[in-house]
Amino acid sequence: MKWAIVRFPGSNCDEDARFALEKAGIRAAYVWHTERSLRGFDGVFLPGGFSYGDYLRAGALAAKSPVMEEVWRFAREGRPVIGVCNGFQVLTEAGILPGALLANLNLHFTCKEVGVRVERTDLPFTRLYQKGQVLRLPIAHAEGRYYADGETLARLEGEGLVVFRYAPLGGEKDYNPNGSLNDIAGITNERGNVLGMMPHPERAVDEVLGGTDGLPLFLGLVEEVAG
Amino acid sequence: MPKYQATLLIELKEGILDPQGRAVEGVLKDLGHPVDSVRVGKVLEVVFPAETLLEAEEKAKAMGNLLANPVMEVFTLEALKELP
Repeated sequence: MKWAIVRFPGSNCDEDARFALEKAGIRAAYVWHTERSLRGFDGVFLPGGFSYGDYLRAGALAAKSPVMEEVWRFAREGRPVIGVCNGFQVLTEAGILPGALLANLNLHFTCKEVGVRVERTDLPFTRLYQKGQVLRLPIAHAEGRYYADGETLARLEGEGLVVFRYAPLGGEKDYNPNGSLNDIAGITNERGNVLGMMPHPERAVDEVLGGTDGLPLFLGLVEEVAG
Repeated sequence: MPKYQATLLIELKEGILDPQGRAVEGVLKDLGHPVDSVRVGKVLEVVFPAETLLEAEEKAKAMGNLLANPVMEVFTLEALKELP
């Protein structure tokens, strides 16, 4: 199994993504954003960072990259696609996932550990978690406030497309770090093969890094293929 | 081919909370200006070739559609002029 990690100018979680994928036993290779073919890859990972310096809007310019045609193809064909943080912003800007990520309500770049509740466990990304389990994952973003119009939001909730929601780690009331609607931290598409999320599972795969709650997400990708 | 300059204004849709605007509003109030509200947007000045004003307008609108995110933004072609 081999995954592509797309590098945009300004990506900076690409190495973390590789570390996490390889820790789960998945081969990974970097792909520059000007590539037009992702042939030979089983999945594609859009890493976090500051593509194009967040100019225009976070993820907006990266979403127009040549490689995104192929990411679209992966999404359409049911192959796994993961976008984390800036990668999630790129997926929404490209229209592969609905909604948008706006400036955090408090306008702060927020870098801390948050609670993230697992809402669905029937996806390759979440099959090794328990429904309702609250993960401890780091966030690091300034534009993470998930927004979608009322109709889209109702559809997301109605069809169960919310995969992760911010949740208290220990009873705190201000657990939503950015003002996301419905505490949304991560969503999927109708087919369940595209995952976009603001928290960083790839930064939580080793005790040395402060926790391993992100590792099952990557291990699940392997199990999915093993059947 | 003649050159045109388009001024594209990109704003957050009405009803979408703009924390940047709120912060600016707060500072203006602190400085003694009784303002009702502030919204922060973006202005893009694009210079490009076109044969006619009509073609320039079409191109400018196409670029606006490409650069604004319809999920939360609207764009307006604020001005369009032929450059000398």
